[in-house]
Formats: sequence, structure tokens, C-alpha cells
Amino acid sequence: MEQSYPNLIPALPELWLALGALVLLMLGVFRTNHVRRTVNNAAALMLAVAFFLVFAVGPTHQVTFSGLFVSDGFTLFMKALVLLGSGAVLVMSKPYLVDKDIFRFEYPVLVVTATLGMLMMVSANDMLSLYLGLELQSLSLYVLAAFNRDRQRSTEAGLKYFVLGALSSGMLLYGISLIYGFSGTTNFTILAGLYSGGATPSVGVLVGLVFVLAGLAFKISAAPFHMWTPDVYEGAPTPVTAFFAAAPKIAAMALVVRLLMGTFQGLVADWQQLVVFLSIASMVVGAFLALVQTNIKRLMAYSSIGHVGFALVGLAAGTTEGVTSLLVYMAIYLSMTLGAFACILSMRHKEGMCEDISDLAGLAKNQPRMAAALAIFMFSLAGIPLLAGFFGKLLVFLAAISAGLYTLALIGVLASVVGAFYYLRIVKIMYFDEPADAFEAPESRSIGLVMGVTAALNSPLSFFLISPLVAWAGAAAGALVL
Amino acid sequence: MIAALSFYLFATVTLLAGLMVILSRNPVHSVLFLILAFFSAAALFVLLGAEFLAMVLIIVYVGAVAVLFLFVVMMLDIDYVQLREGFAQYMPIGGIIGLMLLAELIMVATARMVDPPIGLGSGPAIPDADAVTNTEALGRLLYTDYIYAFQTAGLVLLVAMIGAIVLTHRKRPGVKRQVIADQISRTAKDAIEVVKVKSGEGI
Amino acid sequence: MADFFHTLGAPIRWIVETFLWLPEPFQYLLYIVALVLAIILPLLLAVAMLVYAERKIWAAMQMRRGPNVVGPFGLLQSFADGLKLFLKETVVPSGANKGIFLLAPVVTFSLALVAWAVIPFDAKLVLADLNVGVLYVFAISSLGVYGILMAGWASNSRYALLAAVRSAAQMVSYEVSIGFVLVTVMVWVGSLNLSDIVEAQAGGFWNWHIFSHLPMAVIFFISALAETNRTPFDLPEAEAELVAGYQVEYSSMAFALFWLGEYANIILMCALTSLLFFGGWHSPIPGFMETIPFTDWSAGWLWFFWKIFAFFFLFGWIKATLPRYRYDQLMRLGWKVFLPISLFAVVFYAGLALALGKI
Repeated sequence: MEQSYPNLIPALPELWLALGALVLLMLGVFRTNHVRRTVNNAAALMLAVAFFLVFAVGPTHQVTFSGLFVSDGFTLFMKALVLLGSGAVLVMSKPYLVDKDIFRFEYPVLVVTATLGMLMMVSANDMLSLYLGLELQSLSLYVLAAFNRDRQRSTEAGLKYFVLGALSSGMLLYGISLIYGFSGTTNFTILAGLYSGGATPSVGVLVGLVFVLAGLAFKISAAPFHMWTPDVYEGAPTPVTAFFAAAPKIAAMALVVRLLMGTFQGLVADWQQLVVFLSIASMVVGAFLALVQTNIKRLMAYSSIGHVGFALVGLAAGTTEGVTSLLVYMAIYLSMTLGAFACILSMRHKEGMCEDISDLAGLAKNQPRMAAALAIFMFSLAGIPLLAGFFGKLLVFLAAISAGLYTLALIGVLASVVGAFYYLRIVKIMYFDEPADAFEAPESRSIGLVMGVTAALNSPLSFFLISPLVAWAGAAAGALVL
Repeated sequence: MIAALSFYLFATVTLLAGLMVILSRNPVHSVLFLILAFFSAAALFVLLGAEFLAMVLIIVYVGAVAVLFLFVVMMLDIDYVQLREGFAQYMPIGGIIGLMLLAELIMVATARMVDPPIGLGSGPAIPDADAVTNTEALGRLLYTDYIYAFQTAGLVLLVAMIGAIVLTHRKRPGVKRQVIADQISRTAKDAIEVVKVKSGEGI
Repeated sequence: MADFFHTLGAPIRWIVETFLWLPEPFQYLLYIVALVLAIILPLLLAVAMLVYAERKIWAAMQMRRGPNVVGPFGLLQSFADGLKLFLKETVVPSGANKGIFLLAPVVTFSLALVAWAVIPFDAKLVLADLNVGVLYVFAISSLGVYGILMAGWASNSRYALLAAVRSAAQMVSYEVSIGFVLVTVMVWVGSLNLSDIVEAQAGGFWNWHIFSHLPMAVIFFISALAETNRTPFDLPEAEAELVAGYQVEYSSMAFALFWLGEYANIILMCALTSLLFFGGWHSPIPGFMETIPFTDWSAGWLWFFWKIFAFFFLFGWIKATLPRYRYDQLMRLGWKVFLPISLFAVVFYAGLALALGKI
């Protein structure tokens, strides 16, 4: 029998994380909670090593595992973002978990498996690997959402996420089977070949594509598939919420982009209206429903829905320029979100963690540095000119306009104006309201570090970083759109 | 002739059992009918010559999954009246979704004949049934072309296991646990003390 | 199958030839039914006699006489018991779920018989020479739990339900290690066919798997005890706590069916042990018996029978001497001892087979 082994080099980061997760698990199981701090640090270190491995693999286009796995410039960009997000969340998690008495060694292990799932999603080159990566990631996230298992809110979040997630997976699978049934293949490369030459696809493929898109829209929490987001974000432990807002969004967005632009680019006329609809709905829902929130985690949930809408504006353009703008937007979104959650994770009274917006009142007097950082993030999230968030929005709107989607761009601008209101309200509460109880000084240096770095990235300094970022994202988008 | 008769027999049983799964009032009966459906489906696999799949279907689904299913259902004390409350309310939307899915299934079945898939044959070739047994053919495929998917599926199951343990396992205080090593390493010297008792004094 | 037909010889041929006027499919069905009966009837007879033998073994170990009243040496005791049960009234408890209550013993009994379809009694002497014979036996034995679960639930009795739940947990746990043990043998032989597995052990007792797979054979035999709910793992019918477990509400033929099924399963497990690890129908020293004149004791099925009986004796010996396990000990043994060992063994034997060029 001839023996042929698959080329493992392109999958090095994934292999590293998979083996590492197993080692960490064994370490935790046999040494129990004595080593939870070690496991946490080791997991963070592992993600850092994986980050370098991603760059070691490089941006060359490589396909392996019988066409199930792909590695190129696009995956390089997305994997780097995912690993940054996961790593940052992991180093920020400890104080909160200790405070709630849920700091167990399974937490870092599950974060690593979730990250592994995300890397697999990003690198998927077949419906099969897409689905398996997605399930690996989702399953880890369901458990993480319910991690504070003695608190009803958390278990409710986990259960809600699980039931709705299972439903979305069902839709996804239904769509995949339709696509397979009508095209006869699940491989992205072959599918791209089938439909690139302007061949008219059968109705089944289109219906299947709609189902797949609906399933993925759930994962990126784009309206109208966003219902789970606020409840899950509010109920889950805050570090987990930060994780939800950062890494999985990017991975799922990578899937959407690879599927629509990399695989079904030939059908752009067919899916464009869907993406436009998702985008508008998300922006509107994100802007208007956030206005009435009192809990900062719920607010961030609606904010993330809105931002997904803005990012989809770039995708709706259906051009390389649009994809570039989307990638830039996701990178900036990652830094804004991580920073904002670093602040939320520092909201700590004498009695424990708190998450009401009113608790922020007068923060500028008690904790001026944290208030300044949070103000930067809020301005950036709102898209105030000269901050990073502004450049992201500018790029996606420009891409939409150059693709002729004037209405979409107009609605986007209006939505960001409405959204600016609630971001600025937080700044107003921090700087002009009567001081509430003072927060305790943050004890974790890593949270402070994340806060400082992301604040610097979002400050007007970002002006100098934006052009290299655009160049890199352009290269990544170029690798995807052939 | 015999094969055709067996096919119709098992197909009918599968369909009827499937129908009874959703029609029977008692959930335990539903699970038992589900098992019957699995079983006749396995028989259909055998008729197709896929005996490995048939056996795995029985071992995994009937022998393990459905046992646990039955286990749980047997323990439940379900109030059927309460369960059916609001059923009529959701009936229309459920019916519409069901009809939509049915329509799509029909569409798939019919349109495939009119408009055959264009990318067929892009997957791995199917080996000749006489040359290799289907156990071997499946094994080769799983461990070569689909090793990535196979391993990932393993990881997914591992995560499910970690999740179940994280969410349910608790250490209860005050429970005595047997430590076999301690029991075995105990000798008469640590357990028994020989005391000289002087008469009339007690210990 | 044709060889089987010839071996069984005249009686079956006569039956089939008598009905040659029937249309073809019916002839075929008749032929199958005749073959099935040719296995089941001796099997049931063997169950009856083995029960008698077992009672004698226990009696001898406890220095009693055992059954000695009905027939010469009490040989007909089992038939008397059977007749008694047959003539009694079947009582269905008023709170029971009647259909399932009556179905449960039938399921247990028929599953115990169905598994025998793939057991080779001698070279070519097998009803269905299935490619996946090992998996078939494993699948059928994994279904055995349903009879008990159904009986326990349908009886509507606390004792019965508790026993059913215990039994289900126990059987599912031990099936896992049985499965892995089977995998080590399958990997070693490179086939899932029971006849192939036996043929791989041909040529003398030093080729038997018991030597290459010693720890696996022990695990298999102990798991077989648990799988058939026998001492020391007979918790489902622990008389001290659960009266008679899942059988508590059963009487008459329903009870007898459970009982027949249980013993048919025990014999099946003995047969499997000898097929997988003790060379099946092969003589320990080939050609040795043939040198003794005026005998024909070298027939394969006879060797197979002796091996089955030896393991049956072991079953009886264990029941007569060992106390019952506690439930947590049972679970510990299954999950914390057998599972890791057998998992490791799968890796070990696969590696060894690869190193020796067997794969």
C-alpha cells in the first residue's frame, strides 16, 4: 500500500494549539487546581507561540489535508487577529475569575480549544472543515458562557446560546447539504471554479447559500439573527463576554468573507442584496436598541451588533477594496473592543465587580487615567474623526460608495450618528455626573497594559499606523480574491 | 426476490416506527420506536452491502446513545397535559416551517434529475466493492483523505466531555471515598495495638 | 452455507426435499428455518443440561449433593423446573405497562439466540459467515440491556426500576472495555470475521491469542461476567437489596424466558472467549487425538464444546466462591482500571502489529 502523508507545515499553529491544549488538560487534571495559575500563563504563552508560528508559516498559498485546509495571506491576517484577541482576553481574565471564585484550570484550556476552532474556521477550505471548526469553537464557547455555573444568569446564558447555536448549526448544515446536493462538491476551490465563469447556478445552490449565510450570520450576531447576543453577553462572566466580542466575531467574519468572496464570488449579484440587508438591519438594531441600555455589557452587545453591520458594508461592496476595508475595520474593532472590556474588567467596587453604566459616574475624578482611556475607546467606537474607529468607518463607506451603494453608505452614516449618542453619553456620565462609589485601584498589571496599548492604538497616533495596516489588509484581501 | 421482500419489509417498519416516534403519547414508547427505526435502518444498510455501517449504527446509536436516552426519559416525570399547552399556538408556524423544509427536500430530489450536479466526481474515488471490504474502504478514507476532519471530530468530542465535567462535576464535602492504595498498604502493625492488660485494672 | 448443509446431512436434506414442490422463496425460507432450528434446539437443550451441571458444581463446592431426585442423578431436574414454570399463570401487575412488560422477556430471549448466528462451530460450520462477525456479536450483546431496561420500567416497581438503571449503567460501562479488547484482537488478526480470527490461531495451543493477549483475555472474561450480570457483578438482581431486581414481578414463562436468555448469553460469552483467545474449534495439539485408534474425538465442534464447558465451569466456580462487588467498586473497576488498560492496549497492539509487519 502506498503511504502518503499530508503536509503538516501549513497547519503548524493548529497542531501546536491542539497538542498544547491536551498537555494543559493533562496537567490540570493530574495536578488539579494547584496549577491553575501555571496553566493560565502557559496557555497565554502558547497563544503567543502560535502567533509567531502563524507568521512562520507565512502568506504563501498552501493547501493540505486533501484540500480541506488552506493557508494564505488572508488566513495569516485573520489568524493573527484571532490570536491577539484570545491572548489579550486570557491575560485579562484572572482577577475577575478569582473574584467570582470560578478560576479553574478548565478556563484556559477551553479558551485554547475555542481559539483552535477559530483558526480552523479561518483556514477552512471545505464545507466539512468549516463545520467542524465552527462546532469546536461553538462548543467551547457554550461551556465558557455557562462557566459560572452556580449563578443563574450564567447558566441561562450558556443554555440560551447552546439552544440557539444548535439551531443555527442546523441551518448551516441544511444549507451545506443543499449546496452539496446541487453542486456535487463541498470543496471551496472546486466550487469557486464551478461558479467563477459566470455559470448560472441552480436554485438549490442559491437556497443553500442563503441557509449557510443565515447560520453564519448567527455566529457573527448580525441582525436579524442577533437575539441571543444581549442576553448571552450580559449573563456570561465578563472575561468570557470580552472573548465573545473579540475573537469569535473575527473568525466567523473570516468564514463569511472566504465563503462569499473566495468561493462564491461569481455569484456576487445574487448574495449582495442579502449582505446589504444584514448590514442595514445590524446597524439600525445596534444603534437604536443600545440607546436604552443600563448595563454596560448589554450595551457592548448592541455595539458589537452595530459594528458587525458596519463591517458588512465593506463586504456588500463585493470588491477587493471592500474586503480590504472590512479587514481593516475588524482589526480596529478588535483593538476598541479589547480596550473597552479592559476598562469594564477594572470596574470593581469594594463589594465586588459591577457592570451598571451608572457606576461609572464621576469616574474622571476617582480614576482619571481609566476614565481617559475609556473616553478614547468610546470616541473611537463612535467614530469621532482622528481616532482609529473613524478611519475604519471611512474606509468601509468609501468602498460602498465606489461600488455604487450610496443608500447603504448613507444609512451607515446616519446609524453611526445615532450610535455616537450613547457612546458619548458614557463619556458625559464619567466626566460630568456626581461621583458614585469609587472603584478600587486595578491590581492587575496585565489589564492596565492591554488598556494602555489599545488606548494608544486608538488615539490620534493611529493616524500613522493606518496606512501600513491598509497595505497589509490589501495584501490579505488580494490573496483571497483571485 | 428475497432481497426485495426484505427491503419492503424493513422500509415499511422503518417508516412506521418513525411515525410512531412522533405519534405515541408516552415518551418511553417513542424512544423504543426510535430504536426500532434505527434497527430496521441498520437492516437496510445490510441489504445495501454496507454491513460495517449497519453494525456501527446499532452499536453506537442503539447500544449506547439510545440507552442513555431511555435512561433519562424513564426518569422523567412529564406532565403531558402541561407539555401540550400552547401546542396549538405554535402549530401554524411549526407547520409552515415543516412544509418549507418538505418543499425544499422535494425540490432537491426533483431538480437533481433535471439539473444534475456539475461538480460530481471531484471527491475520492469509490473503490470496487469486490476488491476491498467496506470496512477497509471506510477506514482508508477516514485515515487518509479525511484525517483532518476525523481528528477534529475527536477534538469536538473531547471538548464536549470537558464541558460536561466542568458544568456538572462537584466535589461534595463530607463524602468518604475509598482509597484502594491506602487500604492495601495498611498492615496489621498500623491497625492493631496489642495491650497487656493487668488483671483487675482495666485499660 | 452449503458446507453447513452437507455437514448436518440427512435430516435437513430430507426436510427440504420433501417441500421441493413449494415456490422458490418459500423453499429458501424453509431452509433457513431448518438451519436456525438446528442451532437453537441443541442450544436450548444445552442450557437445560448446563443449568443442571452448574447446580451440581455449586453443590460440590459447598459440600452438598445438589439436585438428585428427578430422574437418574437428578438429570431431569431442569426439565421438571421448566415444565413447572410453563404450567404456571403469567401474572401481569395491574400498574404495569402490559405490552412492554410482556415484550421484555421476549426481547432478552430472542437477542440471546440471535447472536449465535455468526458463531462458527467448526471450520465452515456457521450459519452466517458475516464479514463483520465480531461487530455483529458486539452489537447484539449491546442490545441485551434493552430487555432489562424495558422489564424494569414496565414493571412499575421501585426494585425493578432501580435494578434496570443499575444494569444499564453497568452494561454500558463494561461494553466500552469489551469493545477495546475486541479491537486489539481485530487489529492483530486483520479481520472482523470470527472464522478468520479462529483460523489465525491454528496449529497448536502456542498460537492461541491467550498468550499474545493475556491481559486482554482476562479483561474480556471479567467484563463478560459484568455483561451477563453474573457474580461478582450481579447487582441488578442483588437479592439482599433489590429482592430479585428487574425480574421481581415476573412469573411463569415470562420468567423462564429471562432465565433461558441469561444462560444462552453466558454460553455465548464462553463461546466468544474460546473463539477469540483459545483457538475456537482447533485442537491444542493438532494430530494428537487422531493417533488414538478407534476414536473420532478429534472433531472440531467437540473441541469447541469442551472449551465452552471449561469456561462455563469457571463461571460457576466464580459464582460459588466470590462475594458481590459494591456498586462504586464495580464502576471504578470498569472506568478507572479496565478502560485505561484496554485503551493503552489498543495503541500497544496496533503498534506491535505494525512493527511485526502484520498490517
